[in-house]
Amino acid sequence: MIASASYTVIFYLLAALAVLLSLAVVNAWKLLRAAIALMGVLSMSAGLYVMLDASFLAGVQVLVYVGGIVVLIVFAVMLTRSAELLQDNPAPLRKILGAIASLAFLAATVGVFRSSPFLLSAEKAPLRDNTTLIGEKLLDYGAGGYVLPFEIISLLLLIAIIGGIVVARKTEPQGQPFTTGGDEAGEAEFRPPFTQEEHEDELELVEK
Amino acid sequence: MTEFLAQHTPTLTHWLYLSTLLFSIGLYGLLTRRNAVGILMAVELMLNSAALNFVVFNRFCAPATVDGQIMAIFVIAAAAAEVVVGMAIFVALYRYRGTVDVNAMDTMKD
Repeated sequence: MIASASYTVIFYLLAALAVLLSLAVVNAWKLLRAAIALMGVLSMSAGLYVMLDASFLAGVQVLVYVGGIVVLIVFAVMLTRSAELLQDNPAPLRKILGAIASLAFLAATVGVFRSSPFLLSAEKAPLRDNTTLIGEKLLDYGAGGYVLPFEIISLLLLIAIIGGIVVARKTEPQGQPFTTGGDEAGEAEFRPPFTQEEHEDELELVEK
Repeated sequence: MTEFLAQHTPTLTHWLYLSTLLFSIGLYGLLTRRNAVGILMAVELMLNSAALNFVVFNRFCAPATVDGQIMAIFVIAAAAAEVVVGMAIFVALYRYRGTVDVNAMDTMKD
């Protein structure tokens, strides 16, 4: 009885903290504070995963979300100088409309939950370790296995890495042709047909 | 007191209310934020609550399997890829425009 009582207490504690911190994420004026609050929300979610018998997922959540994604977001805040340039306070009308839209979504979804019967299962969680089952499922190529999505997600991550590098790297100033910065053979000898200044001179001549 | 708490352990509906609340807060942030990085954070909140929903249904409707948890792992991987590309786009955009205010990004409008 003590166990289930403490289960209830911990659930409501984690839930209240998660809701308060996520309100801080969407309302904080300073984006770095919002990033730290996001870290808190994701840690609370990890705690909730532990309560749902998903300890492996809780570990993944802390490693990938709290350790990786939040750090990336902090980098994004700093590299775009959002912390000092843009104090994020939206217009009141926008706040009201956003609140109406999200409350309407909340009301609709809660109404669906109240009116739909869920097929609850009376079974207990399996005695075997969840982690073993997840590993077997991920590499199972039979019926109900997940080896194909597993491989596709690795391809997606590779594409994201390459895309991130290509999009975020320094590009040449406008008017210059695309170069690889001297990496390719023969590029050093390559000279554009005319430079930007010559082009402007030519334009002036034409105008005269 | 202990008895009352022990009788009111959270059911499936309570878990679903929690994840819906988190999703709605994320939706509010998505609609009101002006800074693109703030919008990215709101999207992360929504993805996180969706993953939580998968695990909740896994626990209460099919506790002998782990399919919901595997889906949550895929959601986390997709969120990681999304943040990488989003951050790259914002950094490139900041280099060109000097701001990541989504109100200022209306070049195609004129």
